[in-house]
Amino acid sequence: MSPLIVQRGMMRSMNPNSELIATIQPLIPALRRYARGLMRDRSEADDLVQDVLERVISRWHQRRPNGSARAWTFRILHNLAMDRMRQRATRAAPGPMDSVPEDRLASPPTQEDKIRYDDILSLIAALSEEQRSVLLLIAVEDLSYAEAAEVLDIPVGTVMSRLSRARERLHRMSAGEDTDQKSPMLRIVK
Amino acid sequence: MNGGPVSEADLQAYVDGRLTPEREREVAEWLVERPKQAERITAYRAQSLALRSALASVADEPLPASLDLRLRHSPGATPFPARQAGIAAAAALLLVLGGAGGWLLRDITSPPTTGTAMLAREATANYMVYASDSTRPVELGADHRRALDDWFSNRLSRPISSPDLEPVGLKLIGGRLVATEHGPAGLYLYADGHGRRVALYVRPMKIDKNDRMVRRQGEGVHGWTWADNGLGFGIFGLEQAETLHRAADMTRRHYLAA
Repeated sequence: MSPLIVQRGMMRSMNPNSELIATIQPLIPALRRYARGLMRDRSEADDLVQDVLERVISRWHQRRPNGSARAWTFRILHNLAMDRMRQRATRAAPGPMDSVPEDRLASPPTQEDKIRYDDILSLIAALSEEQRSVLLLIAVEDLSYAEAAEVLDIPVGTVMSRLSRARERLHRMSAGEDTDQKSPMLRIVK
Repeated sequence: MNGGPVSEADLQAYVDGRLTPEREREVAEWLVERPKQAERITAYRAQSLALRSALASVADEPLPASLDLRLRHSPGATPFPARQAGIAAAAALLLVLGGAGGWLLRDITSPPTTGTAMLAREATANYMVYASDSTRPVELGADHRRALDDWFSNRLSRPISSPDLEPVGLKLIGGRLVATEHGPAGLYLYADGHGRRVALYVRPMKIDKNDRMVRRQGEGVHGWTWADNGLGFGIFGLEQAETLHRAADMTRRHYLAA
């Protein structure tokens, strides 16, 4: 029996209190979205969110009362996601990202937008996990830079430089200039 | 420049709309003279938009029961009624979430009757009435561009002119003056190569005299609002997310350079 299953079994017996529900329930759609952006696969992402909810329930009493519940929850999600992706990486080399079946993609896009949406998800999948998560947290989830720093457990300055590198790399990839793994040089702006 | 030299972090915050209105204006002015940087910023914004669009529907998907905290209860311990009530509550929550529909919108935190949030609502309403009007969408056509600009300038007591948006594929159709609670507003209509219409809405601002560029969405119409030097702007359309953004940037530069 895997540790996850044990944990889940334990959680079933715990009853989330109303404060927890009022705080966390509204975050669930965003948690699913972030998980989907990281993992791409719908069932994997939702499975991850379920684990996050179990952990949120079991650790609810440990959170700082004045801290941002959103950052705290996203941090749990982020750490669990990184664990899973590491496990996945050691289990097997991932299949090519662009072979993801259409129904796994988030958006039922219009004919015209289809290429672009498929593209952007494939492109961010090619970013490093560090760059992908910072971009998703800031650009999609609208976390403040300070909240993103808390989620990723890095200084705000590092958030900014990762964000800048992620955007530049994505820009180059979409312009077809960068398909390898090396990160672009940061431009100096005067 | 009061806030000091523009750093890479400033530019990132500019992309994300996180600068103070003063600093944002400084960076916008800085970018007017640096088209290469401006192009890079536009590309970054387009990325964010594409990412948000690609993932937007995930948040609207119905919540599976396994992810619904309100459906959890330990047997016998909960005072809450049966599953049906939970499902009804879930459905109600979905309605609320669906109505809030713009997870990406800041309208939720903006006062609804003033400022650029109000401007966004006016612009959306006008877009829906006039952009779809096939008989007479505008009062004065593009062949009277000069007269139209003068008309708006007179009524809004400000120099108003229609920006040239052809570089982003938008051709001026014309415009009309519209009424708001806050006095007259100018509505320019443009059309892209497929005939889809884009509205540029402009009026003087009493409250948000300067406001950052904010994405807006409602009633299936979406776009951007901002305000500079007491003049508020909204660019709205249907599906043309990238075009709208580029048009908004271009219009902002047009007025800042004027």
